[in-house]
Amino acid sequence: MADLILENLRKSFGSEEVIHGIDMSVSSGEFCVFVGPSGCGKSTLLRMIAGLEDITGGEVRIDGKTVNHIPAAQRGLAMVFQSYALYPHMSVRQNMSFGLENLRMTRPEIAGRVDEAARMLQIEALLERKPGQLSGGQRQRVAIGRAVVREPTIFLFDEPLSNLDAELRVTMRAEIADLHSRLGNTMIYVTHDQVEAMTMADKIAVLRDGIMEQFGAPLELFNLPQNRFVAGFIGSPSMNFLAGEVRAGQVALKNGAMLPLDGRFMVSEGQTIELGIRAGDLTLGSGQGVDVEISSVEQLGAESYLYCRSTLGEQITLHESGQTRARRGEKVSLRIDPDSMHLFDLQSGRSCRTG
Amino acid sequence: MTALWTFLSRTQGRNRLTWVDWVSYGYLAFGFLLIFLPVCWIVLNSLKTPSQLEQQDISLLPGEYRQVARATVYGPDGRSIFIIENLPDWVLNWRTMNEEDRADQDVEGLLNGFRGDSHYALRSALGQVPLKARSLISERRLPQWLLRYPALSASAKAEFDAAGAIAGLAEEEQRLLAEFLGLDPYQANKLISQVLVSAIHPETGERTAFAVPRFDPSKPTLPARLVDNSSDRVFKIETATAHAERRIQPAFSNFIEPLAGRARAVTVNFTRCFTNSLLVTVIATIITLAINSMAAFALSKYRFRGQTFFFVFILATLMVPPTITLVGVFKAIHATGLSGSIWGVIIPGAATPAGVFLLRQYMLTIPDELLEAARMDAASEWKIYWRIMLPLALPALAALGILSIVWRWNDLILPMVAIATTKDAYTIQLCLLEFRGEHLSREHFRLAMTVFSLIPTTLVFVFLQKYITTGIANTGLK
Ligand SMILES: Nc1ncnc2c1ncn2[C@@H]1O[C@H](COP(=O)(O)OP(=O)(O)OP(=O)(O)O)[C@@H](O)[C@H]1O
Ligand SMILES: [Mg+2]
Repeated sequence: MADLILENLRKSFGSEEVIHGIDMSVSSGEFCVFVGPSGCGKSTLLRMIAGLEDITGGEVRIDGKTVNHIPAAQRGLAMVFQSYALYPHMSVRQNMSFGLENLRMTRPEIAGRVDEAARMLQIEALLERKPGQLSGGQRQRVAIGRAVVREPTIFLFDEPLSNLDAELRVTMRAEIADLHSRLGNTMIYVTHDQVEAMTMADKIAVLRDGIMEQFGAPLELFNLPQNRFVAGFIGSPSMNFLAGEVRAGQVALKNGAMLPLDGRFMVSEGQTIELGIRAGDLTLGSGQGVDVEISSVEQLGAESYLYCRSTLGEQITLHESGQTRARRGEKVSLRIDPDSMHLFDLQSGRSCRTG
Repeated sequence: MTALWTFLSRTQGRNRLTWVDWVSYGYLAFGFLLIFLPVCWIVLNSLKTPSQLEQQDISLLPGEYRQVARATVYGPDGRSIFIIENLPDWVLNWRTMNEEDRADQDVEGLLNGFRGDSHYALRSALGQVPLKARSLISERRLPQWLLRYPALSASAKAEFDAAGAIAGLAEEEQRLLAEFLGLDPYQANKLISQVLVSAIHPETGERTAFAVPRFDPSKPTLPARLVDNSSDRVFKIETATAHAERRIQPAFSNFIEPLAGRARAVTVNFTRCFTNSLLVTVIATIITLAINSMAAFALSKYRFRGQTFFFVFILATLMVPPTITLVGVFKAIHATGLSGSIWGVIIPGAATPAGVFLLRQYMLTIPDELLEAARMDAASEWKIYWRIMLPLALPALAALGILSIVWRWNDLILPMVAIATTKDAYTIQLCLLEFRGEHLSREHFRLAMTVFSLIPTTLVFVFLQKYITTGIANTGLK
């Protein structure tokens, strides 16, 4: 168990910089998730922490010790790869023992640890098989088992669930979360699936193009996104955005609606902004609302989603619990709850919230 | 066996043979015969006796025609040529027999069974003339220079009166010494084996026994002598009417004698050469695999400055024909003092550019993530090479292993350059060259030992090819 500090971490491949200075501090025992769209540098960042990629600038500190020049083999971390990277010529047992043998552990001790990890991950029956004879989920478990037996100070996961089908992914997600609560190790988990991030993380780091957009607890990111990117990325379905400007101390949306402003926001008269509102914070009704046409309806039984288009062509999603009577093609008006709206500066995308 | 049959009787799924099956089986059979027939042919040839080979008998089966001896005897009445029938085999094979086997034969008993010219012919053929002449000279206390006389030059011979020296002896003794000394009209008598055929007599039209020098079915007629010696003439008999009887008799001695070190007129020790070749092949292959796989590992999995340069440089050496570097190799071997020892063959060829290339290309297909996983597992780079890279590259290693073994085993040029001066270090290929013989043809040994030298490479292939296929099947990278 250890804490991890990244300080102004940079990485260039040749002349191209892909990580532009990341600061972050993960305390011991935390489950930290890196999310972000494909190509944003999540894997690169993780591999720099692991020691598989050398560091162009900045520092990685584990337990207060700078590890920039310590090779991967000696950092005492364990990693689960996206492709699992199980040694195809070794049995499951050998796969799990390999790392311990390298640490010169005695045979009975190795056997003990492997058996224990196998019991925990329910792969005891598979110990003598080769990776080629396992299903995707089983390989995943073996890969985790290989990391677990090492009893590493920090676990690193690189999109370990991306190769699994949806159902298995949900099960494995729960298992990993369970594993974390049992072992209590620090874990760094890379994914581009924000649902995974929300359900598992103690802390989420949202990355975009090698920059960390926000770092904080899942609900903090959900409730108080610092910029438009995070607001759009976190939460499902995505937040709705409506263009507008500040006029006479009120938010004047382009499509005509006016909304009162309160002291939560710091805006200036005439500033062009974007209003963000989550699907659940919209209600069907008349009054100070947005006129839209329903373009499709999703009835899920316990809840419904209405996909609407405003007169300006903006896509708006609305969530209703229970079943809805709204029909496709119907023209309705949506009411925005001013208490749960977010405002972002149109140019910088930054949140206009004070503090 | 049943497994083999189910394999061979497989069809394309339907119960009937489709044309694709026919073509496949036809092609399989054709390929099999194409490879297998020449091998069979050389194996059968290796079992032929020396005389059968000398006669360039192209028959498939090892075995000789029945033979008779054709004798040429010089006497006071001039030269006479006649046929001797029914001689035991050992008389006809005398020239190729070794000392021990010769000592086992009852030469005296045989000679006593013959009179006259037949006796003289056999006495010469069995090498009894010098023996008997020497003992006669010492027994009769004749001048000692008689012993040296046959080897003297013509002018030196003129200084001695050989005829005078033997004048006082009995007639038979005189003849023996005259044959020994080569006094006129006596010359060395000859006895050669000929093929016994029965053919239509061109004059009487009856089926008669003839002796012919070679039974060559491609010639329309054969020169033949009557076996019963009723005429001195040489007849021309029609090959079409001729019929020769053959005995199937594999000459296993072709194999046994050189392997036991009893081969006559062979100056190299075959088993020694065989061991040398085994050593060279095994050691060199191990070194080759080790060096090449390390180089390939570095070139395929590490990023370092000059990486492309080294790779291109190694590949460039592939373009240089080995014959061009031969002199350089020779000098290097001499300068390092390796010449004359098997290390001179092992070391110069240890790193092969083709092997590095083959292994590198294969190793490129092994995912980097496996190495990274091993690094996360605290494995040293050496351990990654040994525990991850080598097992995963096994199919390529097996392929290179087979190639290396075949190269080393069959290599002739490098051994010629490095160890031709030291018979103790000869490899099998040099040894086979030695069987060629300068004066005597040792073709039968050469063929037999060539066949024998094929055994190790065949075995290696049979065992390693399984590795290649299972290696590919087992990588399990889905
Ligand atoms: N070896 C490399 N050489 C050059 N550029 C690289 C290299 N590896 C990654 N990159 C670049 O670095 C950026 C970040 O890549 P990275 O693999 O970290 O993305 P990621 O966030 O893990 O994406 P994904 O979710 O698709 O796995 C990408 O733009 C990629 O093109
Ligand atoms: Mg990635």
